[in-house]
Amino acid sequence: MAMASSEKSHSAPADASWWRGFLRGLARSWAFLLFFAGFFLFWQYAIDLFGIPAYILPRPSEIVTRGWADIDRLLYYTYVTAVESLLGYLVAIVIAVPLGLSIAFSSFLRRTIYPFFVSLEMTPKIAFAPLFISWLGFGLLPKVIIVFLVCFFPVVLNAILAFGSLSEELVRFIRATGASPWRAFFRVRLPAALPQCFVGFKYAAINATVGATIAEFIGSDQGLGFYIQIVTGNMRPDLAFAGIFLLTLLGLALFGAVTLVERWVIPWHISQRRSR
Amino acid sequence: MTAAAIEIRSATKTYASGIEAIHAFGPSSLSVGPGEFISLVGPSGCGKSTLMLMIAGLLDCTSGEIDVGGHVVTAPETSIGIMFQDNTLVPWRTVRGNIELQIELRGLPVAQYRSTVDRLISSVKLDDFADRYPYELSGGMQQRAAFCQTLVHRPQVLLLDEPLGKLDAMTREAIRRDLQALWLADRPTVIFVTHSIEEAIQLSTRVCVISPRPGKIERVIDIDLPWPRDLAIKRSEKFSAYASKIEEIFHGYGVL
Ligand SMILES: Nc1ncnc2c1ncn2[C@@H]1O[C@H](COP(=O)(O)OP(=O)(O)OP(=O)(O)O)[C@@H](O)[C@H]1O
Ligand SMILES: [Mg+2]
Repeated sequence: MAMASSEKSHSAPADASWWRGFLRGLARSWAFLLFFAGFFLFWQYAIDLFGIPAYILPRPSEIVTRGWADIDRLLYYTYVTAVESLLGYLVAIVIAVPLGLSIAFSSFLRRTIYPFFVSLEMTPKIAFAPLFISWLGFGLLPKVIIVFLVCFFPVVLNAILAFGSLSEELVRFIRATGASPWRAFFRVRLPAALPQCFVGFKYAAINATVGATIAEFIGSDQGLGFYIQIVTGNMRPDLAFAGIFLLTLLGLALFGAVTLVERWVIPWHISQRRSR
Repeated sequence: MTAAAIEIRSATKTYASGIEAIHAFGPSSLSVGPGEFISLVGPSGCGKSTLMLMIAGLLDCTSGEIDVGGHVVTAPETSIGIMFQDNTLVPWRTVRGNIELQIELRGLPVAQYRSTVDRLISSVKLDDFADRYPYELSGGMQQRAAFCQTLVHRPQVLLLDEPLGKLDAMTREAIRRDLQALWLADRPTVIFVTHSIEEAIQLSTRVCVISPRPGKIERVIDIDLPWPRDLAIKRSEKFSAYASKIEEIFHGYGVL
């Protein structure tokens, strides 16, 4: 009897309507929403209170209305920056994961490439940006490379960690079954490594838009980074804030997408469980 | 004369790690006949797990050698079933999936083992939890699931490293009874690590008492009690005589 009722309560949230879940989420995050609203309200009225001129810091309401007036350009530039970020990000993952995997399993690579990567990790990758622009010009390619550089290291280092830290007990279990390397890889090593890999994916997702923006600052004729620099030069901080707002949304969207994929791929992981 | 199922010949293990090598086990010898149930009891850190891993071929002997099934162990011994001290349930598979993992890793056809899996799951009373994930189970339930994972490919030699360690007294008694029934029915050769002297006496044909590190099998005590051994036997005089005998040995080591 007790069994049956616990069964029910367990499956209930899956059946509940989307709307109920939304309301529950709202109820849980009311403090955050209140803080958020409070922050913008304070900003809005502090401008008048302290007599801050609009060319220094615009009101949130002005950012919205002026930004809206320039929305076509803003949206197109958002698209441009999104393409640069996404391309660099995906290429980084496609290259870094297999590389991290090889380094984790090859003691030779661990002695050669790994220390090289660890020291490169200390180099601010963004310092290479002007060089790539001067070598490759204003186009898409140098931006993708710079985004790639800032995304590559977190992914590769976390992948090495992920594939290299299977618990000793599981390693022994695999050996005791005599499983072939392939079987052991797909049934145990890979799923066990995914949570740590996603730590890298998420970290890289945060870096991606940063890399794209800075690359555009340095040499570009389109994109949100370019836009922010131009409008700031024209004494239009309102438009700069509109650009920053869209960059934030872009970053959130990328991060959110990775989080959704993570929830879908490793629903069993402790970070994904919602205790009820 | 039948060949020994497991033959340990002056096996030792010294771990070469850290600043100083750790002499963990041996030299000790022991011959285990087919169908025997051997318990290893000894203080924490005396090398019980180390010995298990050496028998399983997962750890090399530093000197001496070990035979399993008539040949010298040089590589992981895949024919046996080993239950490690920490359970090997993976978090992304359900109880059933975890038991089937043993089958899949061995490249055996899962479909053919479905009824075995079901039977094992009900034998440890996890029927309602067959499709739950390890984190939804209590520590004791996880251990029962891991026990099924160890048995599913029907090994004739079982190495069990404190399989009942995390269980409460009641479940422990129940699983002990199940384990005994299983052993009486199939007669696998079992090496069983436990901290409980009572448990060792109740389940075993022989109890090996291991001295503190570096652990040596110092005494091997034949347990001559009738089967099956239930609660009544535990209250018998003979049983307590065995228990006090073993306790005295530990007392001599200064660990009791
Ligand atoms: N991988 C290792 N490297 C170095 N030393 C080890 C290693 N594994 C175990 N030891 C040492 O070997 C000794 C025996 O360890 P072992 O795990 O076999 O003990 P045990 O009898 O199983 O103890 P417990 O009852 O606590 O499980 C310990 O002193 C431990 O420090
Ligand atoms: Mg142990």
